[in-house]
Amino acid sequence: MRWFWIDRFTEFVSGQRATAIKNVSRSEPHTTEYLPGFPIHPSSLLVEGLAQTAGLLVAEHNHFRERVVLAKISKAQFYYSGRPGDVLRYESTAEDIQRDGAICMCKASLGEETVADVDLVFAHLDDRFEGGLFEPSEFIRLLRLMDMYKVGVMPDGTPIRVPDHLLDAEQADANTNNES
Amino acid sequence: MPSEEEIFEKVQTALVDALGVDDDEVTPEATLVGDLGAESIDFLDIVFRLEKAFNIAQIPRSELFPEDILTDDTYVQDSKVTEVGLDELEKRMPFVDFTKFRENPNVQEFANLLSVNDLCRYIGTKVN
Amino acid sequence: MAFLTFRQLDRICQLNVGQDITAERYLRPDEPYLQDHFPRFPVMPGVLMLETMYQTAFWLIYATDDFKHSVVSLREARNVKYSGFVEPEQSLVVHCELIKRDGPISKLKAEGQVDGRVAVSGRLVLESFNLSEREPDYPHTDAYLRRKMREHFATLCEFEAVD
Repeated sequence: MRWFWIDRFTEFVSGQRATAIKNVSRSEPHTTEYLPGFPIHPSSLLVEGLAQTAGLLVAEHNHFRERVVLAKISKAQFYYSGRPGDVLRYESTAEDIQRDGAICMCKASLGEETVADVDLVFAHLDDRFEGGLFEPSEFIRLLRLMDMYKVGVMPDGTPIRVPDHLLDAEQADANTNNES
Repeated sequence: MPSEEEIFEKVQTALVDALGVDDDEVTPEATLVGDLGAESIDFLDIVFRLEKAFNIAQIPRSELFPEDILTDDTYVQDSKVTEVGLDELEKRMPFVDFTKFRENPNVQEFANLLSVNDLCRYIGTKVN
Repeated sequence: MAFLTFRQLDRICQLNVGQDITAERYLRPDEPYLQDHFPRFPVMPGVLMLETMYQTAFWLIYATDDFKHSVVSLREARNVKYSGFVEPEQSLVVHCELIKRDGPISKLKAEGQVDGRVAVSGRLVLESFNLSEREPDYPHTDAYLRRKMREHFATLCEFEAVD
């Protein structure tokens, strides 16, 4: 199983807000076994979906130069749980992006109903930690598959660009695959 | 212009939301770090919520949480804040009473200084 | 595989009914999601640390109320702070303390440590209820769910709950 708790972005405004959707499926083993007889999407995985939406929003703003990790769940309130067949909508607003971290206010909804309100604080890993968290060419592949560059725009409406260091990694990977 | 009571209520809400504590734990005398358990990662959260609650464009974090002074060799020696350091702190945070801290300027003791009252006084200077 | 059912805990170490509980969660190097979190730095995701704290807390409530309610849900998580990582082959030992009860609502303080250092802490608000009270589509699930939770609880405990 993979650790992808959003399916794709439906809206992405650099440095401001992002919306992603998550389809809750009966074929995800935990959905039917978490509370036997009552299939639901666990709240912690809903938080992860919001954190992935918000974390990528924060990281993109700094051109993926910073390693963004979840430092604090400030306040999380859960009203309902997603059920198989539900399409959960995760909206995240970047309230404050600073040098060492960021704050995002997030909301999970099902249609018109709010399922959860979650405030998240992210930190940028400092120099005590060496190296990146992701392999660059895999990372850009993942971002493209999630439609970040299909829907992503700057606040003025122009499309967002893939940062050069990720484009280079993507190209290098393509060259390697073409040679083999 | 908000009254003292209004300021206290909004500061209380900001601390309840940022620190996960209950209303009744946020008393005027409660210290942010010592009593309410605020840590480095909370400072960003607290400052953000105060900015939002009081419509202040930007509260420099270092005016409330002078980590830069407390981790500087010129201002702290042998875990004690020096005279020069104490002067810097007083300049940075005029809304805090440093009399007691001067008697025993242990860096660890600093956590027991900044109270909810101090925070309210600080906000008072920013909104008035 | 326990993870597929989303069970976090390996064992409950100690439980004082109505008071507190300690449980342990070992991070196996072969847990499948580690390949993504993160490819170059595998660590337990923060939300699984939260889930571990929540499951530890709900067992205390289930045991205190003798499984009277089929569901003990997470209503709120407050100030959940991450101060350390859990790396493969390390154990997260969680301690939860019941602070307050107000009808169906339970408020707890939770803390998780790795080798004696605090890695995560927070406050949790749980709500106990029977599914049939809320879900007209699941009238017969309560008895089934209570039985399943009791069975799982028994596998986690190495001792009798202390009153």
